[in-house]
Amino acid sequence: MEIEVLRHDIVIVGGGGAGLRAAIAVAEADPSVSIGMVSKVYPMRSHTVSAEGGAAAVARDDDDFEMHGYDTVKGSDFLGDQDVIQYFVQEAPKELALLEHWGCPWSRNEDGTVATRAFGGMSTKRTWFATDKVGFHMLHALFQHSMRFDQIVRYDEQFVTKLLVDGNTIRGVAALDIREGVMRLVLGRAVVLATGGGGKAFPFTTNGNIKTGDGMALAYRAGVALKDMEFVQYHPTGLPGTGILITEAARGEGGYLRNADGERFLVERDYGVGTKAELGPRDMISRAIIQEIEAGRAVTQGDWGEHVYLDLTHLGEEKIQSRIPMVRELSKLYVGVDPVHDPIPIRPVVHYMMGGIDTDIEGGTSIDGLYAAGECASVSLNGANRLGSNSLTECLVFGARSGRKALEFARGASEGDESSLRSEGANEAGRVDALRAKTSGTEKISGLRRALNDTMESGCGVYREEVQIQASVDTVQEIKRRFEDVEIQDHSKVFNTELISVLELSNMIDISEALTSCAVVRKESRGAHTRRDFPNRDDQNFLHHSLCHFDSTGPKVSTKPVTLGKWEPEERKY
Amino acid sequence: MSDPPKKTFVITRFDPDVDEVPKTQSYEIAVDPDWKVLDAVNYIKDEVDGTLSHRWSCRMAVCGSCGMMVNGEPRLTCKDSVSQYGDTVEITPLSNFPVIRDLVVEMDGFMDKFKKVKPWIIRAKELAAEDGPVRQSPEELEEFKQFSMCINCMLCYSACPVVSNEPEFLGPAAIALGHRYNVDSRDEGASERNAIFRGEGTVFSCSFANECSEVCPKNVDPAAAVNQAKFNAVIDWATGLVLPSGEKE
Amino acid sequence: MARPAHPQAMQPVKPGRTRTAPPTMPPQFPMTGRYRAYTLFDATGFLYLFVGFVALRVVWALGTGSAAWANIQQQLANPLYIGFHVITLAAVCFVAVRFFGLFPKAQPPRIGPLKPPPGPVIVGMLYAAWIGITVLMSAALMGGIS
Repeated sequence: MEIEVLRHDIVIVGGGGAGLRAAIAVAEADPSVSIGMVSKVYPMRSHTVSAEGGAAAVARDDDDFEMHGYDTVKGSDFLGDQDVIQYFVQEAPKELALLEHWGCPWSRNEDGTVATRAFGGMSTKRTWFATDKVGFHMLHALFQHSMRFDQIVRYDEQFVTKLLVDGNTIRGVAALDIREGVMRLVLGRAVVLATGGGGKAFPFTTNGNIKTGDGMALAYRAGVALKDMEFVQYHPTGLPGTGILITEAARGEGGYLRNADGERFLVERDYGVGTKAELGPRDMISRAIIQEIEAGRAVTQGDWGEHVYLDLTHLGEEKIQSRIPMVRELSKLYVGVDPVHDPIPIRPVVHYMMGGIDTDIEGGTSIDGLYAAGECASVSLNGANRLGSNSLTECLVFGARSGRKALEFARGASEGDESSLRSEGANEAGRVDALRAKTSGTEKISGLRRALNDTMESGCGVYREEVQIQASVDTVQEIKRRFEDVEIQDHSKVFNTELISVLELSNMIDISEALTSCAVVRKESRGAHTRRDFPNRDDQNFLHHSLCHFDSTGPKVSTKPVTLGKWEPEERKY
Repeated sequence: MSDPPKKTFVITRFDPDVDEVPKTQSYEIAVDPDWKVLDAVNYIKDEVDGTLSHRWSCRMAVCGSCGMMVNGEPRLTCKDSVSQYGDTVEITPLSNFPVIRDLVVEMDGFMDKFKKVKPWIIRAKELAAEDGPVRQSPEELEEFKQFSMCINCMLCYSACPVVSNEPEFLGPAAIALGHRYNVDSRDEGASERNAIFRGEGTVFSCSFANECSEVCPKNVDPAAAVNQAKFNAVIDWATGLVLPSGEKE
Repeated sequence: MARPAHPQAMQPVKPGRTRTAPPTMPPQFPMTGRYRAYTLFDATGFLYLFVGFVALRVVWALGTGSAAWANIQQQLANPLYIGFHVITLAAVCFVAVRFFGLFPKAQPPRIGPLKPPPGPVIVGMLYAAWIGITVLMSAALMGGIS
C-alpha cells in the first residue's frame, strides 16, 4: 500500500517548551511558512509541564550578564561552551519578557515588576517564577499562544520512528499515527527535534513516562553524535518511592537539609558549597546527601528507605502557601507529610540529561537541515552540571534560535526526491508493522525495562566506578540483544500503547549505550560525573566534550574541544 | 508479614477493530497500599495484560493525562489512593467522551472547543521583547490566577450534565480559560470573547450544576468562571448599548 | 452500563480517524450522588409552575365575584393544598440556600470600577434581603387583612 505523504516547510518533532517556542518563532518570522508539529502526546502533556522552580534571566539591578554567565560556566564545571553561555544570558531576559507578553502568570513584586527568587549556584536572585508551577504555566502559555497561528499544523499523538536523511540532508520524518496505527511521512525542508530527555532509562527519576530519549535516539541512529551523555543530573530532593520532584525553590525560599540527627550537614561539614549551603549546585548537594547516607547519618526508619530531610517548618504556612504551594500539595499527596509541620523525606533522583544531540550554537547538527533544542539537545550550555532554572530558559532561547535557523535553511533548501523517500518510508512502515505483528518473542517489556533501569542506576549513579560502569556497558549490550526477542501481546492497530512502549524501550537502550560508553572513558570527576576511582577533575586530559557515534559494530566515542573564553578553568569551590 | 491485599479491577475494554461495543474485563491483583489507582492500572498493563491501553505521563497530577471514571466518578488516577476504594474498583473511560480504545477517549472535540475561546493574550498593539515585561500588581494577578491552574484533564466535561446533552456547549474548562484571559489585566480582548460568550452553546447553556467544580482536581472552580463570564457578558452587552463602540475600555 | 449521552457529545469538528464507541452519560446522573441535589433543584421548576396556576386561579376568582372568592378560599383550606404549599415553601428554601451558597463565586473580580464585597458578606446580604422582604410582605399582608 502506498504510504501517505504530508508536506510542510518545517517539521518540528516535540510539542514541549522548546518545540512550541521554535514553532512560534517560525510562525512569527514568516506567516507564509507552513509548520508541521509532530508530537507523541498532546502538547500540554509534554514534560515541560512538570518543571517547578523557575526560569533564570537577569532581572534585577544588582545582577548582570557577566554574573549569570560566570555562574553558569562555574556550574558547568567549565565544560559549558562560553560563546553559547554568553549568547544565552543575553537572550534570556528577552525570552522571559516575551513569555510575559504571551500571558505567563509570573509572580509579582508589590510594584508590579516580575519577582525573582534565589536558586542553587546562582549568585543573586534571578529565577523568575509563577509560584512553583513554572513549567506548567510556561507550557500552557506557549501552547495557548501557539494556537493563534493557523500555519502551525499539529499532529498530536504521532510517534516519530525514523529521520529521513538523503545523503547528508534531512528530508522529513516517518511517524506512526498512534490512533490509527498507520505510518505516514511528514516531509519538510528542515526538521527541529525538541523531544526532551531520557530520564526513564533510570528507575528512580523525576521524569514522566514519556521521557524516553526518543529524539536523541533518532538522531543517534541517523548518524549524529550524542554529546556529553555521561553527565546525568541527580536532583537532590526527590520524594522517596515515586521520585516526584520537590523543587529547588523550596531551598531558594529558605528550606534546610537535615540528616537523621537534625544537623544541617551542608553547614556542619565541608561539602565544597561554602556559605551557599543549601543553595549550592545540584551535583554537589546530591553527593553530600549520598555521603551522609553512607556515613550512617541518614534516616532509616519508616517505609521510605534511606533518606534525609528537607525541612521547611521554619518558613511558616503563609510563605509555603504563597511561594511553594505545589511542594505542599505533592508532599501531602505522595508521602503523607505536611511540610508546614513536618520535614519532607527526600533523596537524590535522576532529573535531567546535560548531554544530548550534539549541536552548534544555532541548534544545527551534523546533518544539514536538522536542528535540535531543549533537553534532547546538547548545545553545551550546561556542560557537566546544569544550574537549576537555566533549562526552562534554554528551551526558549535555543528553541527560538533553532526555529529561526531552520527557517533560514529551509528557504534555500530543495525538496527531496519523493519516490526514494516513499520507498524508504515503506521500508520503515514494514519494520513497524512487523514489530506489531511479531508473535515469537519471550522477553517481557517490563522485564527488559527493569533490567535496563537497574544497570543504569548501578553503573551511572551519583558516584561511579570503573567496574560498575563497565558492567553497565556490557549489560546494555546484552539487553540490546535480548530486545530482539521482545514479546508483543498487543497486535491491534488502534491506539496500541504496547507498541509505543517497545519503540520507546528501544530508544532508551540506544541512549543508554551512548551514556555508559561515554561514562566509562571519562576517567575524571567533573560536575555530575563523579568517579570514586578518579576523584579529581583532570583538565589536562579531559577538558573536552565526549561524542558518541552510532555504529553497527558498537558505539564510537571521540572528543570535541570546549569553547573557552574569558573565564579560565579554576578550582570549583563555593 | 501479611499478604498484600487483593483487589479486583473491572476495566472497560474496547478495540474498534474487534468489538462492536465496549465490554469489561476483570483483573484481580495484589495491591500495594501506597499505590495510586494509576499504579494499579500500570501494573496490569506491565505485568498482566499488555493489550490494555490508557494514557498517562507525569504521575504527579500536573500533565492531566490520566483522567478516568473510577467507580462512576471522574478522577485523576495518579492522585487517587488505591486504598480509598473497596475490594472491587470499576474503571471506565471518561463519561461524555467518544471512546477510541479501552480507557482512551477522543480529545479533539475538546481541543476544538478550547480554541474557540481565543485562549491567548489579545492586545491592540503587539509588544516586542525589548519592551520588557508589562507590570501587573499582585492583586491583578490574583484575579485570574486560579483560573490559570487548569491542567486540561477534562474531568469537568465528564461530570457536566449540559455536556451530556448539548454537543455545542463549550464546556467548563474552555469557558474558564476564556474568562481567565478576560480578567487578566494584560489582555484587551474581553469584548471579542464576550461576544463569543453571548452566542449559542456557551455560558448561558450552563445550569450551574456545579459538578465541574466538585470534580476538579486542581480547585480551579470552573463553575465560578463560567458564571462570572455570564455576568461579564451581560455587563459588556449593556455597556455596549449605552456607549457607542470604541468608547468602552 | 451507563445511559448514552448525546451521540455528538465531545465529538470533534473533523470526524475522528477511527471508529469510536459513543459517549455515555456520567453513571450517577441524574438520580444518585451529588446529582440528586442538582436534579431536585431543577425539578422544583415544576412546583413553581403549579404555584403559578394556583395564583392565576385565585386572581381569576377575585375578579369573578365574592362567591367565587369565598369558594376559592374554602378550596385553599383543603389539606392537599396546604400540603402542596408546604412542599413549595421547602423547595423555595432549598433553592434559596443552594443558590445563595453558589452566588458569591459567580461575581467577577471586578464589575467596572467596583469590586464586589467578600463572599461571606454577599451571602449575609442575600439572607438579610430574603428575611427583610419576607417580613415586609408579611406585615403588608397582615395589615391588609386587619
